Amino acid sequence: MIAFENLEVRYAATAAPALKGLTLSLDRGIVGLLGPNGSGKSTLLKALLGLLTPSRGSGTVLGVALGTPESAKLRARIGYMPEYDALIEDASAYEQVAFWGELSGLAPEAARDRAHEVLYFVGLDESRYRPVSGYSTGMRQRVKLAQALVHSPELIFLDEPTNGLDPDGRRRMLDLVLRVHAELNTGVILASHLLGDVERVADQLVILDQGLIKAAGSMAGLRKALAKRVELRFLDPLDATQEAALVELGTVLEARNGLYDLELTGADPAGAFRWAQAMGATLVQVTPRHDRLDEVLLRALHGDAVRGSGLRPTPPGPPSPDQAEPVPDSPSTSDPSSLGER
Amino acid sequence: MPIYAPTLPPAPDLQLGQPPALVIMRFDFARLWRQKIGRFFGFAFLVMLLWKVARIYIDHLLQTNQSLKPMQEFAKTILTQGADFQADLLNPALYLLWFLVALVGGGLVARDTLYRVRPLMYAHPVAPKDYLLAKLGFASLLPFAILLPFALLPWLMSLLLAGAQGPVWVTAPLRLLPAMAISSVLMGSLAVGASSLAATPRAGIGWVLGLVLGLGTLASMIHGLTGIQSAQALNPIVLAEVWPQLLVGVQKPLLPWLPTILGTALHIGLWTLVAVRRTRPSEAVT
Repeated sequence: MIAFENLEVRYAATAAPALKGLTLSLDRGIVGLLGPNGSGKSTLLKALLGLLTPSRGSGTVLGVALGTPESAKLRARIGYMPEYDALIEDASAYEQVAFWGELSGLAPEAARDRAHEVLYFVGLDESRYRPVSGYSTGMRQRVKLAQALVHSPELIFLDEPTNGLDPDGRRRMLDLVLRVHAELNTGVILASHLLGDVERVADQLVILDQGLIKAAGSMAGLRKALAKRVELRFLDPLDATQEAALVELGTVLEARNGLYDLELTGADPAGAFRWAQAMGATLVQVTPRHDRLDEVLLRALHGDAVRGSGLRPTPPGPPSPDQAEPVPDSPSTSDPSSLGER
Repeated sequence: MPIYAPTLPPAPDLQLGQPPALVIMRFDFARLWRQKIGRFFGFAFLVMLLWKVARIYIDHLLQTNQSLKPMQEFAKTILTQGADFQADLLNPALYLLWFLVALVGGGLVARDTLYRVRPLMYAHPVAPKDYLLAKLGFASLLPFAILLPFALLPWLMSLLLAGAQGPVWVTAPLRLLPAMAISSVLMGSLAVGASSLAATPRAGIGWVLGLVLGLGTLASMIHGLTGIQSAQALNPIVLAEVWPQLLVGVQKPLLPWLPTILGTALHIGLWTLVAVRRTRPSEAVT
């Protein structure tokens, strides 16, 4: 669906890069693009749309190379729901969705018919003739989603689609996102800083920070990895031999005062008791560690996401000639993370 | 509680649409149609047009009605077949048009900036040149469309009432239409350029009026201080007025050919360049 290599984007020739040599490939699905404000999520979406020209690197979206003349036509195959309002305040939802449909290549009459259909799909059927200036935040978000869907795109970019919505509005918006993927077979890239949103709908995850991909992987893999996380409490601290033998159980993530944080190799936590019996240790407690996604995100942002989360780090591209300092917390592995490889 | 459709059918063929510039231009015309501004200007332009047509009809009455014979000599002084009369067909609509262009054109790009619609347009298969073409097209077509009846209706009436002997030349439209086109493009490019400098429609109106009146004042000051008449080529109002004069061949136009051509090219080029730079995608997304 999307692949890019060593992608670097700058807002001005002399400015620091907003994206610093990203390499990644993504399969069709719902991809959560997660990261704090200013991490480069919106910039990445704009670069993939061709709104920003990469200063270095290359990429393809739906098989079309970025920065080529064909990439302009590509936009007819993509829907974009921006983070900001981008609504024509003095026009009704129906008028502007039809307008965006025409801009995507629909004939005028077809665009008008389509505007009715898509506004009904997003739940704005009854208010479609009212100027959007009188709409609530939830309705405005749905108009933006409708304009992104009006031309049946193969892929949609949703930039913070739940911004400003109350819990019920968020739930409805995320339900719509799930419907878009499930019923219309549309690929979705959902950029958000709200972990719950991504956790709920995404099947792939990319964590961005300061213009770098900190980690990328599948949500299924992440959940599976999290399910294997346990904390072992022993009656007495383990000796060196016993500690060394812990690798038979899994990867030790953290050890402190008789507490061992492990990612188990096997699926059965009860195996830990058998291991303790065999090693002559007294295991008094096995606690499953169901880390929430926010913990994973925080670990990723601090550079130690890989072992515990099931996410793989992505290597930075070669540094720009004018990039004076190496990125301090860049993962060092040389294998490009490819969600498509799973 | 919103009611959702059970599903969404696939969209029709995307290859049957109109060019993006035309779509944007049509949308802007539809938006203007909704605004109340059209009523005031519609009334004002209609009164002017009726006055022009009434003059032609009065001339016809003077020529054909014997009881009005004593007034014929007087009528000849105001309804000559001279070039001045032909060029004057577009006045004073040209002056009022500047205000209409400022009020409508001032918000043309600025409104998209305010609502942040332009980056979303570029996220569709719309190139910056499509966007600019649409805005320039709208801002130029609007004054041209308003001037069109001022050139054609008096000509048609004169032709119907008096044939080749009427006060309006048979060839007048051939001279006035190109002049109207140039003046309209001048108005349109200035309005779009000024609007692209503004962040809100009101500021855009201020920019257009400020530039038109400011440049006019500057040109008059230079003219007054140095005595160089060509300095008036800086004044867009004079430029718009002088093109009909030059093309119909009045004896004493406000400006000669060369300063008029240079001044018009400078204005159109400069304001188009400003608009190009201010509506680039990189400008729009920051």
